[in-house]
Amino acid sequence: MHQTKLFWFLLIFTLIFTSCIKEFNPVIKSADEKKYVITGSVSNADSAQTVNISMTSPIQAPAYLPVGGCIVSILDDNGNTFNLSETGNGNYSAVIDQVYLTAGTSFKLSVTTPDGEVIESDYDMMTESPSVDSVYYITEDHEGLIEGEFLKGIQFYIDLDGAETGTRYYRWEASETWEYHADFYREWYYDGEIHHIWPPDSSLKVCWRTRYIPRIFTLTTGNLIENKFRKLPLHFVDNLTTKLAYGYSLLIKQYALSETAYTYWDQLRINSEEQGGLYETQPLAIQGNIHSITNPDKEVLGFFGASTVTTKRIFVQNVPNLELDFYSFCNPVVLRKGLVEIDPQDYPAFLMGDALGYFEVLLNDACVDCTELRGSTIKPDFWPN
Amino acid sequence: MKKSVLLILALLMQLSVVLAQGLRTVMSFNLTDVTFARFTEEVQKGSGVKIWTHAEWTDTLRVSINDDNIEVIDAVRQVLKGTSLTACVWNSDIVIIPGEGLPAILPSYEQEYIIDTSAKKAKKLTATEERYITGRKPGVIQTLRIGRSGGSMKGSKARIIGRVLDNNNGEPLINATMYIAEIRTGAVTDLNGYFTIMLKPGKYNAVFEILGYEKTRYLIDVLSDGEIKVALNSAVIEMKEFVVYGDRQMNIKAKDPGLDKISMKSVRELPMLMGERDILKVSSMLPGIVSTGEGASGLNVRGGGSDQNAFYINKIPIYNTSHLFGFFPAFNSDIIKDFSIYKGHIPAQYGGRLSSVFNIVTRQGNRKRFTAHGGLSPITGNIVVEGPIKKDTSSILLSLRSSYSDWLLKRIEDPSIRASSANFNDVAASVNYDLNKTQMSVFVYHSDDRFRLADITEYAYSNNGTSFNLIQIFSNRLRGEFSLIGSQYDFKTTDTQDESSAYKHAYKMGHYEARADFKHMISDVHTLDYGADFIIYKLDKGQVNPYGESSIRILVDHGKEQGVEGALYLSDSYDVLPWMNLTAGMRYALFMPIGKQTVYNYFDGLPLDARYTSDTLEFGNNEIIKRYSQPDVRVAVNIETDVNGSIKLAFNQMHQNLFMLNNTITVAPNTQWKLADYHLEPSRSEQFSAGVFRILGQTGLEASIEGYYKRSSNYPEFKDGANFLENPRAETNVLQGEQNALGLEFFLKRSSRKLEGWISYTYSRTTTKVDGANPWDKVNNGELFPSNFDIPNAVNAVLNYHFTRRITMSSVIAYQTGKPITYPVSIYYINGVPYLDYSKRNAYRIPDYFRTDLSLTIEGNLKKNKLLHSSFIFSVYNLTGRANPYSVYFRTDNGRIRSFRYSVIGVPILTATWIFKLGNYASD
Repeated sequence: MHQTKLFWFLLIFTLIFTSCIKEFNPVIKSADEKKYVITGSVSNADSAQTVNISMTSPIQAPAYLPVGGCIVSILDDNGNTFNLSETGNGNYSAVIDQVYLTAGTSFKLSVTTPDGEVIESDYDMMTESPSVDSVYYITEDHEGLIEGEFLKGIQFYIDLDGAETGTRYYRWEASETWEYHADFYREWYYDGEIHHIWPPDSSLKVCWRTRYIPRIFTLTTGNLIENKFRKLPLHFVDNLTTKLAYGYSLLIKQYALSETAYTYWDQLRINSEEQGGLYETQPLAIQGNIHSITNPDKEVLGFFGASTVTTKRIFVQNVPNLELDFYSFCNPVVLRKGLVEIDPQDYPAFLMGDALGYFEVLLNDACVDCTELRGSTIKPDFWPN
Repeated sequence: MKKSVLLILALLMQLSVVLAQGLRTVMSFNLTDVTFARFTEEVQKGSGVKIWTHAEWTDTLRVSINDDNIEVIDAVRQVLKGTSLTACVWNSDIVIIPGEGLPAILPSYEQEYIIDTSAKKAKKLTATEERYITGRKPGVIQTLRIGRSGGSMKGSKARIIGRVLDNNNGEPLINATMYIAEIRTGAVTDLNGYFTIMLKPGKYNAVFEILGYEKTRYLIDVLSDGEIKVALNSAVIEMKEFVVYGDRQMNIKAKDPGLDKISMKSVRELPMLMGERDILKVSSMLPGIVSTGEGASGLNVRGGGSDQNAFYINKIPIYNTSHLFGFFPAFNSDIIKDFSIYKGHIPAQYGGRLSSVFNIVTRQGNRKRFTAHGGLSPITGNIVVEGPIKKDTSSILLSLRSSYSDWLLKRIEDPSIRASSANFNDVAASVNYDLNKTQMSVFVYHSDDRFRLADITEYAYSNNGTSFNLIQIFSNRLRGEFSLIGSQYDFKTTDTQDESSAYKHAYKMGHYEARADFKHMISDVHTLDYGADFIIYKLDKGQVNPYGESSIRILVDHGKEQGVEGALYLSDSYDVLPWMNLTAGMRYALFMPIGKQTVYNYFDGLPLDARYTSDTLEFGNNEIIKRYSQPDVRVAVNIETDVNGSIKLAFNQMHQNLFMLNNTITVAPNTQWKLADYHLEPSRSEQFSAGVFRILGQTGLEASIEGYYKRSSNYPEFKDGANFLENPRAETNVLQGEQNALGLEFFLKRSSRKLEGWISYTYSRTTTKVDGANPWDKVNNGELFPSNFDIPNAVNAVLNYHFTRRITMSSVIAYQTGKPITYPVSIYYINGVPYLDYSKRNAYRIPDYFRTDLSLTIEGNLKKNKLLHSSFIFSVYNLTGRANPYSVYFRTDNGRIRSFRYSVIGVPILTATWIFKLGNYASD
């Protein structure tokens, strides 16, 4: 009887759940024309305002193609003009005094490219952002790309509590910082002869790494009675990395947006994160607010917005009920023929050992140097002791 | 040659009914591709039976027969199947002649008559004449006398109204043909088994034919206007299996280009997903009809959207035709008697949709005895019970189908599957009264679906409908049909994805219709169809309510909507010349959205957006908001080029007042229907089509080529990111554009053979253009783009091979060009994160679709008298396991762009289905 049930189950299972998703690279012709991509914002978070100008790149050869040599200025609706100076890599920046950065002021961007094309954005009005209400996590299991395969980890959520009169449109950016450790101290090394560092060198043992979470989080409360929201999902951190092992910090930046800015970011989010599925829709033709004055028919991508920003940082340590299952990049190698096996190019080569002596076990760089994994040994200011 | 003919004719007069032992000798044959002569030898060796024939007739014949247990006479008949030759018993031997053969049994009456007719002429007949004579041999034929003698004016034709019924269960037979060879004229029965014909008084040999029944001849003696009723026996012994019915004569003579018919027999033998018979899937094997993928509910007919097909089951319109997101059809295929698809010329009695009419007529139930049949597949179980209330006059039929997959899901040790559940049911019942000149029927239909996705979103939808139908025969010339129809479609969605914005939405749509249709034969060349149709639409588009205690969602009231539609139509089928028929008709429909309604006006020169509302208009209850009317012209010409071919031309205009608000590529279960209103105008289409139909000699092949060009205006397209749930003002989300479709359809069909089936190839293109005056009234910058279901090349083959009468292998091969898709063409970066810039809409295509299915049907034994007949169907869907892409999409995952291919089914699916019925193999 049990067997029969299993048989039927498999049949049904294959029908409904064998929908398979596989990576696939379609053949696409590249776009003939390159478009300008201009993004930037005026925000009150700090006085330095940055605008970035680049070109689109063909899909087969993705590359960031910065555009230098532009004349860039930000104008407000009170008649003030702020000129931006080029800081390299397609970035332009200017310091705008906080007195100009008040909610209710509208800003626009004007760019003259090196070939004389004039590009302008629409005005975007700065709106007041409420403070970030609360950011928290819940331990959850998430289904991975493979059906039926679950990842354990923590899911972050944000709650919103905005003023009734404030904006109804929001965007969040998140940056994560985590502490991680190299597996071994630097103690024994070999560069033709054996050296012993005593006391062991711990300077490359502990690192911190900060990463911008490459996702867009948007919300409108326009369809809600109150300007509030509970449990908006942010990102998920699984237990397969060292991120949650020693300490994890999350910085949330909350942007209050105008409706057009929200539409832009939300469309960008839908196009990059919500494609596919049985009931898929056409990719959206994203409506930015930047136009070429010289060639009105030529599309310019990007958005220039003004928003007030509030931030919140939280720390996570010792997540209850979550067993970490991470894999270290340290791969010690037993030297069967002794130290002669070590390639002089690898000098100094660190060896496993303790206060009493070394073993003929070679440690790769990731074992003794945490900066190998792109972190920094400088403890961030905000890190708790 | 002549000698043998004379011999046969001479022998004819001495026919004897004695069946010799030899003929019933059970023999074992094991012959593959041998000559007929070799077969003859085998027979003579095995049974002593001699076979007389003319070598010219049989020398091209190749014989393959494998049977361990067959009577000689049956073996010979089997060998001759599909040829024009007939085996006749003469003394204890067999005579093979072309044509209808010798009468097997000499009638006790009118024997002299036979001798008179045949014997006198015997000596001077040519072979052709002989065939003609054998074809009209009146000896075994019953004479039907129509009218009274002297009841007819001299020289004028008599109007005859006839009806063809199944002798076994009394049900009317649809599309049975009556053909009179002498005057090369005939008639085809309609959905109620009626036909009408005008004949000069005199005697005629009429052949009544319908596949699956014994061909029956009657001598009809026409005296004056009158009626006849003919009952045909189902062909228990001679029964063959057919793929598509639509008799040869019928296909050539039928006046409707672009009409496809599907027999249930053919559906039963196709390999189907999860052992379910699915006429919608079979439809998509026909030329000009495509489905955009597995799990895509809805069909696209000749480049039309999936909301452009009218779907009727016994006149009840069905607004959601599928169960479980298009995997299964929303009705039990077991009760379907006739299924027609009109995609070219749409008769004037139909209106309201641009692309096609799918018309299902269910069986009325057995009028002779109670019977039941049903089936069990891994997903569903179904049973149909039917029988007479009063023998020969009234019958009842009840069908129930239910899925039990939910039962299974609930018992599975997997949290997410256990949390999902799906189940569906459908019920149909009909009661029929058939009094001589009046027939009444009541039909009730219900279907419901429920799907709960991992405890987050719950979808439920149902169709309910009732139709009451009365047919009255007023005279031989005039027949009327009166119907009252009510149909309701509703759905409910509960979404608890985010607790703050969780909601519940319930939508309901009612369709209430009264119609009268008349068929009026005014002369022997003119038949009029006319009638009136009145529909009230009542839509309660529901409220989007917050769901759960923590939901703070704003209640959105979509409000109610009402509309009335009245239509008058008149169509004349005119036999201009014996070989040419012209059907010209007009349908004049008036559609009016009516109050109570608040209509918003918007400022000129600004997008239609709630922010730019200029004023509001209040319409009171039942107050007319707007009137939309335009005539639909329908013209079709059928030219019979010769006995084996015809050319058909048609011009067709259609209107549509009802749209689906849907911006997903396939139809989601929470898709709202919307009436044309103050802002949204009805869509309109015009189609020109032309086709050539031919029977290819004696090969059993039929071929057709049809071409069409269709243009539609006011075709609704939706704005990017249109949200129909939060925005009750549909006009702010909809843009109306143009759609153009053209195509060429090739169709080759073989029937009544061991290997039968069809192959179709369609080349078609469909483009959409939305180019409003303002930049915001454009889609794709106002440029033409391929529609979402633009499938240029489609090849479909359905092949059945009958090993024996009990074992049939069926296969389906489907290939189509991948559907259009919008791909990204360039990449740009914001904050170091890559984003995609997309191409023009639908500039690319996903990889091509290819699928092969196979099924094996094993019928139970062929004993004539038994209680229960069982059959098993083993089928494999997607035999090659090809993961056909349903879509290709790009997603930014952890700061990296990745492209994926999504396939709904990527493995072969094996199913076994058990089907049973009371009675024998051939029972209904």
